[in-house]
Amino acid sequence: MNTKSILESLILKEIIPRQQAEKILEFETQKPFSIHWELRSILYLGISLLTSGLGILVYENIDTIGHQAIITVISALIATCFYYVYKTRQPFQWSEINQTTKYGDYSLLFGCTLFLILEGYLQFQYNFFGTRYGIAIFIPTLLFFLLAYRFDHRGVLSMAITGLASWLGITISPMSILTKNDFSSPGLIATGTILGLALCLIGWLSETRNLKKHFAFTYLILGGNLAAVTGLTGVFNQEFKIVYLLIVAMLCLFLVYYARNSQSLIFLLMGVIYGYFLISYSLFAYLPDTILAAFSIYYFMLSSVGVLFFLLNVKKILGLKK
Amino acid sequence: MKKGYNESWVQNLFIQSTARSWSKNNLLTDGQIDQVEATYPESFYRPGIFVKIGLFLFTIFGGSFFAGFLSLFFFESAGNKTFAILCLISAVCYYFVLEFLIKERKLFHSGIDNALLYMANLAVITFLLVLFEGLEFWQYCLFVLLVNGITSLRYADLFTVFITITSVFVLFASFLIKFPIGKSLLPFAIMILSAAVYLLNKKIESLYYQECQKLIKIVVLITFYLGGNYYIVRQGNALLADLATNNAPEIPFAIVFYIFTAAIPLFYCLKGLKSKDRIFLVVGLLAVAFSCFTFRYYFDMLAIEIILCIAGSVLILFSLLIIHYLKTPRFGISDDVSEKRKLANLEALLIANQFGQAPEADSVKFGGGNFGGGGAGNDY
Repeated sequence: MNTKSILESLILKEIIPRQQAEKILEFETQKPFSIHWELRSILYLGISLLTSGLGILVYENIDTIGHQAIITVISALIATCFYYVYKTRQPFQWSEINQTTKYGDYSLLFGCTLFLILEGYLQFQYNFFGTRYGIAIFIPTLLFFLLAYRFDHRGVLSMAITGLASWLGITISPMSILTKNDFSSPGLIATGTILGLALCLIGWLSETRNLKKHFAFTYLILGGNLAAVTGLTGVFNQEFKIVYLLIVAMLCLFLVYYARNSQSLIFLLMGVIYGYFLISYSLFAYLPDTILAAFSIYYFMLSSVGVLFFLLNVKKILGLKK
Repeated sequence: MKKGYNESWVQNLFIQSTARSWSKNNLLTDGQIDQVEATYPESFYRPGIFVKIGLFLFTIFGGSFFAGFLSLFFFESAGNKTFAILCLISAVCYYFVLEFLIKERKLFHSGIDNALLYMANLAVITFLLVLFEGLEFWQYCLFVLLVNGITSLRYADLFTVFITITSVFVLFASFLIKFPIGKSLLPFAIMILSAAVYLLNKKIESLYYQECQKLIKIVVLITFYLGGNYYIVRQGNALLADLATNNAPEIPFAIVFYIFTAAIPLFYCLKGLKSKDRIFLVVGLLAVAFSCFTFRYYFDMLAIEIILCIAGSVLILFSLLIIHYLKTPRFGISDDVSEKRKLANLEALLIANQFGQAPEADSVKFGGGNFGGGGAGNDY
């Protein structure tokens, strides 16, 4: 079944006239082959390789290349990037800027990454910030937040959020949230939960107040994951079990509610999975053993069928449109 | 083989989506689209990707506990035979539920059916493994091939197709390495098999297996390239001969494989651009990257960081030049944004992962995290 046979059958059913079919066929044979995303991926890869290379080069040759030379070159690159971004800027607005310039996004990202390298180098070589590491992390974080909002860049926003979290001592990026954090310290769990909830709140506000509505996803996914993971860890091994339990339960309800409002099903999935964890854990932790013995054989089977039923009928239950 | 899913619905689904792509380009009116949908109806249940993931996970979860539940009845007479019977019973249950749900809930690759199919196949294969102990490797391979091949024909599932095609290659290779002559001709044999599968795959025209055929094409393009890749051949050769793998000895016909390593990726890219075939183009680009790795591995002239810098600069310049060159479409190739950025949100998360490693407070080697991450950077 190809274009021609589909068109033939549409003509037979008298949905389209023959003339229109010929026009469509002409469009199909003439339409150009777009390699837009392939080229953009190559560009990303190039930026990623070049910044990695520069990063290593700077550290390996710290004694041989003149410091001034390194700083000058990197600063010049940063200045060029930011100048380009500045020159091609669009007027600020609270909604998504649809038609950004061709390289503005990439240039901004490149500049920000170089900025991190430069700052690290200054600290390593000249002890620029002394032992006040907090400031060293806080400066790029603040800068990135400003840049993200001014130039409407989700990637830089996520870099800023990551920076904010690491200022508080937490690794937040989705791939390493579980492996790189030390969840045995109670302080970290509390901080993580509060930060996660705060990010969720900001995301919710951006969505409802229409302040950079499209940033909500980034805030919510990073914040929601952080709050849920730290909260669940709190439920598992902290003193204030009940507080964390309530927090995670509220969070899960919020995620499902948000999914319903924004029609974004990834939050539904998050809410369901974290909620399921929470409920199963609480049942097994708090129910008396005699009930558990009879009940646990059936629990997982029946509960997963229940979740499947919920997901299958989620459109009806939550009134989703799509 | 009777198809598992309603074939005319699959066809109608394809017609609908093609019609929708035309209406996006203002070639069909809204009224015509409604007419198309009325004339070619389908009522598959196809949830979004995230609901699909949830359904898949919870089906696996529930299914495994169902098997555990069954095993309670066999608890007293534990042994190999009972385990085999247990596998068979669960497989029958899974297949039954699978068929039932496809009929009743009109599932179409919606997570639940994928999960049930994989669990059922796994159970059947385990049953065969337990029943026939002490067979040779290729015979087990044959089991995997048969179970997945037959179910692929019925359900056209991507994962089972992938397992099927992989086991074809493994079976073929494990046959050949039994003979000395087969061992030395293995790379060419793999390439010939890939080409044969490619041509066969191209001949079949079936809407039902459309996605599977794309997957098979990707797999055989990759195996064809790897079969001729110098690094793979040299390392594989050493591995088969049980020699030290770190510095594998030179292989015969080295020059032939060098030529393959260089020529195949270029051929893929050109073919992709010429016949507007995205699969060829993307596999070709990835193959170019792997070829660069191969040459760099054997001709170690420059330090890694310098290569990274040069490669990065070249890639940036290259892509910028091409983007500039394609401002107006040439040779039927353009730089238009044909589809809106659906993945903008995920892209942002990827950036957080790659570039966003902010300086760490407590380490002395304080700086751009792991040097700004850099996907491929760490592998060198």
